[in-house]
Formats: sequence, C-alpha cells, structure tokens
Amino acid sequence: MKERGLVLWGFIFMLCMLAYSGRVDAGVAEGKKIFESKKCNDCHYTQGPAREKTIKDQLSKKGPELWYAGSKFKEGFLEKWLQDPKPIRPMKYYSLTEKNKGDHPKLSGKDAKEVAAFLMSLKSKDVKAGVIKAKKSARARIVFEKKLACYGCHLVKKGRKIVGGLTGPSLVDAGERLNPDWIYAYLVKPKVFKPVKDMPVYVGIVGDKEMKMLASYIATFKQKKKKK
Amino acid sequence: MIKRVIPLGAIFFFFVLVMLNGYAFGASAEENYQFYCAQCHGVKGKGDGPNATETQPVSPRDHTNTKEMKKLTDEDIINVIKSGGAATSKSTLMPPFGKTLTEKEIQELKDYLRKLCKC
Ligand code: HEC
Ligand code: HEC
Ligand code: HEC
Repeated sequence: MKERGLVLWGFIFMLCMLAYSGRVDAGVAEGKKIFESKKCNDCHYTQGPAREKTIKDQLSKKGPELWYAGSKFKEGFLEKWLQDPKPIRPMKYYSLTEKNKGDHPKLSGKDAKEVAAFLMSLKSKDVKAGVIKAKKSARARIVFEKKLACYGCHLVKKGRKIVGGLTGPSLVDAGERLNPDWIYAYLVKPKVFKPVKDMPVYVGIVGDKEMKMLASYIATFKQKKKKK
Repeated sequence: MIKRVIPLGAIFFFFVLVMLNGYAFGASAEENYQFYCAQCHGVKGKGDGPNATETQPVSPRDHTNTKEMKKLTDEDIINVIKSGGAATSKSTLMPPFGKTLTEKEIQELKDYLRKLCKC
C-alpha cells in the first residue's frame, strides 16, 4: 500500500516537471519551428561545434554560423534586429566587390520574438559569464587604434565621423549588439568560434590582460542616440 | 585474426596521414592572398581592396609596384607578414599574420609577391 503511494507521488512529480519544462521551452520550440519553416537554415547552421576547416569551407557559407548566438548577442538585440535587419557587415558576406544590399529576410514582431528566444537558447560552454564589463580606458584605446589598428577592417566612430575598413562587421554599435564576455572569448579562442576567417589570430601577439581591455573597450561602443 | 588487422591498421594510418597533410599544408599562396591580403591590397595586388577607404590614414602597398617592392628584402617581406607593419617601421594598419599562417604559407606568399611585383 505504502509503495503504491510512493509510486503515485513520483508519477505526479514527474508530470509536474514535464509540464514545467514544457512551458519554459515553449518560445524556444516555437522559434525553432519558425526558423526551420522560414528556411533560415539554408544560410545558417545552429548546431556546434564549428564545421569550417578550410578557406573553401568558409567561402561556401551563405551566412554566419548561429550555433552560439545565445552567448554572442546581447539580450534584446536579436528580437529588434530580426524585425529590422540593418546591415552589420558593410560588404556582402565574404565578398570583396559587392556591398551589403540590406536584403536580409525580415520577421514579424511575433515571429522575431520567438526566433530570438530560440537563438538565445544556443549557448556555448566556452563563454564564461560575468568576466568582462564594458569599460573605456586610454590604454585600450592605444592598443585598439595605434598598436593593432583594428579599424583596418572594421568601421568605428572617431569623434563624430565613422571611419575604417569594410570587410569586418561594423563595430560602431558593438556595445549594443555583442555580449562583452563573448567578445573576449572570441578574441582568445578564435578556433572555437571562427576557425577560418579573414581576421588575423591575435593570440600570442596580444597578452591576456590586453585582450580583456580590448573586449571591455569594444563593449562601450554605441551608436549615438538620435536627437528627438 | 591479427594478420587481418595489420593491413587494415596500415590503411587507416595512411588515411589519417593524408588528412593531416591536407590540414597542415592546406591553402595555396593564391588562395591565401585572395582570402587574407586582397581585402586591403586588392584582388590584383594594386592596393585597392575594399578596406582601402578614403578614411584610412595610409594606403596599402601596391604589390605590383616594382620600384617600391624592390626595396624590400625577402626577410623584410617575411617579417612584415609575420609581425605586421611595425616590423619594417611602417603603419600598423598592415596586420600581423604570424599566428594565422604557417611558416611555409608565409614563405610561399613571399614568392607570390615577388611574382606580382616582377622583382
Ligand atoms: C540567403 C541567406 C540567408 C537567409 C535565408 C537568412 N539569413 Fe540570416 N544572415 C545572412 C547573412 C549574409 C547575414 C549577415 C548580414 C549582415 O552582416 O548584415 C545574416 C545575419 C544573420 C544574423 C546575425 C548574425 C551575426 O553573427 O551577425 C542573424 C541572427 C540571422 N541572420 C538570423 C536569420 C534568421 C532568423 C533567418 C530566417 C528568418 C535568416 N537569418 C535567414 C544570410 C541569410
Ligand atoms: C584583416 C581584417 C581585420 C582586422 C585587422 C581585424 N578584424 Fe576583427 N573581424 C574581421 C572579420 C572579417 C570579422 C568577421 C569574421 C566572420 O564573421 O567570419 C571580424 C570579427 C570581429 C569581431 C566580431 C564581430 C561580430 O559581430 O561578429 C570582433 C569583436 C573583432 N573582429 C574585433 C577585432 C579587434 C579587437 C581587432 C584588432 C585587434 C580586429 N578585429 C582586427 C576582420 C578584421
Ligand atoms: C588591414 C589591411 C591589410 C591587410 C589585411 C594586409 N595588408 Fe599589407 N599593408 C597594409 C598597409 C596599409 C600597408 C602600407 C603600410 C605603410 O606603408 O606604412 C601594407 C604594406 C604591406 C607590405 C609592404 C611593407 C613595406 O615595408 O613596404 C607588404 C609586403 C604587405 N603589406 C604584404 C601583405 C600580405 C602578404 C598580406 C596578407 C597576408 C597583407 N599585406 C595583408 C594593409 C594590409
């Protein structure tokens, strides 16, 4: 008799757990369905680890990998961007001749919310949370501008002007788009996230302290608020 | 049993070697140049890649300019690819590729540049 009671309680407990986990995953599962039905996987893969081994592998991709999107992007950014996908990379993906036409597929508010929930659930164990805080410093600026000239391939704000190269993603609004902890992880573990890319590897050229400073510095970059 | 395993092992080992080979010596100089260098130096090496915007303080070297490129020794070229512009007291806008490319790939890029500049 007692045993039966235990089994029954165990069963009820399991049902509750199922119902609970189901509710938490609702947006994620729904978002995954939309992601698949809108053919987002034609250009993006969402399962890690990184697959690219050669330059040819990288050049055959039609869009950036998204398997660590939940670690890369700031909370709230994707939901907004998916409804109004303004160019992040000034050039068409890995093209040296064509500009980015700004023709990325758009989602409705509802779909964007659910797809963003799905993408934000894709985390990477290689990004430690809470290590890097946005912080400006004169040293970091010297490393970024003078010592390494990161603007060679990235757009950045200089005073009121936007200057720099075009093959890398624009960093003008990097602090609004990117998770500071991911920026650091990307710089120190290039092989994990983007094993083949046209940005040089700086590990072994830049020390850990400077990498942290760089990540903190980039995390402060913001598009200036428009005057109302 | 063992007799059968040995040839299989040898075949497996051979394939592993072939694959490792593919990774270690992967890309040709042309492929590397187009992927890493052309974004600044241009697909034909004329210094007109998409990163050479008018907002940049220095223009990338025109690799087809025989007169300018002749001034560089093989060692200069290798050092500048490895450690960036600072290595030849030039602008750091020329980035360091020493941790991106292998020793062999850098050597081959040097030869590739010598062909571009005919010098
Ligand atoms: C035809 C190919 C293509 C399709 C289809 C496509 N994308 Fe993209 N996506 C791209 C390209 C190219 C970029 C880079 C755009 C940029 O930098 O402005 C991109 C960028 C993104 C980014 C930002 C990634 C980053 O690392 O900067 C997200 C998120 C994204 N896409 C989500 C989606 C979703 C969701 C869908 C389906 C509704 C979708 N994409 C459909 C090609 C595609
Ligand atoms: C030779 C060109 C080049 C230089 C120099 C360069 N980058 Fe990049 N960077 C790129 C490219 C290209 C990408 C995108 C790679 C990809 O997504 O496949 C990138 C990506 C990034 C990203 C991720 C942005 C995003 O939204 O995905 C950060 C952060 C970054 N670079 C920081 C730096 C820093 C810091 C420096 C200087 C130490 C630097 N870069 C120098 C070309 C460059
Ligand atoms: C971010 C843009 C950028 C990239 C990528 C780049 N370069 Fe350069 N490179 C420059 C600039 C700018 C200069 C001119 C520096 C100066 O004159 O002060 C230069 C100069 C050079 C020089 C001449 C150095 C001298 O002392 O005159 C060589 C050789 C060179 N680059 C080779 C390469 C090779 C090979 C690659 C690819 C592995 C490459 N560069 C990638 C921007 C770049």
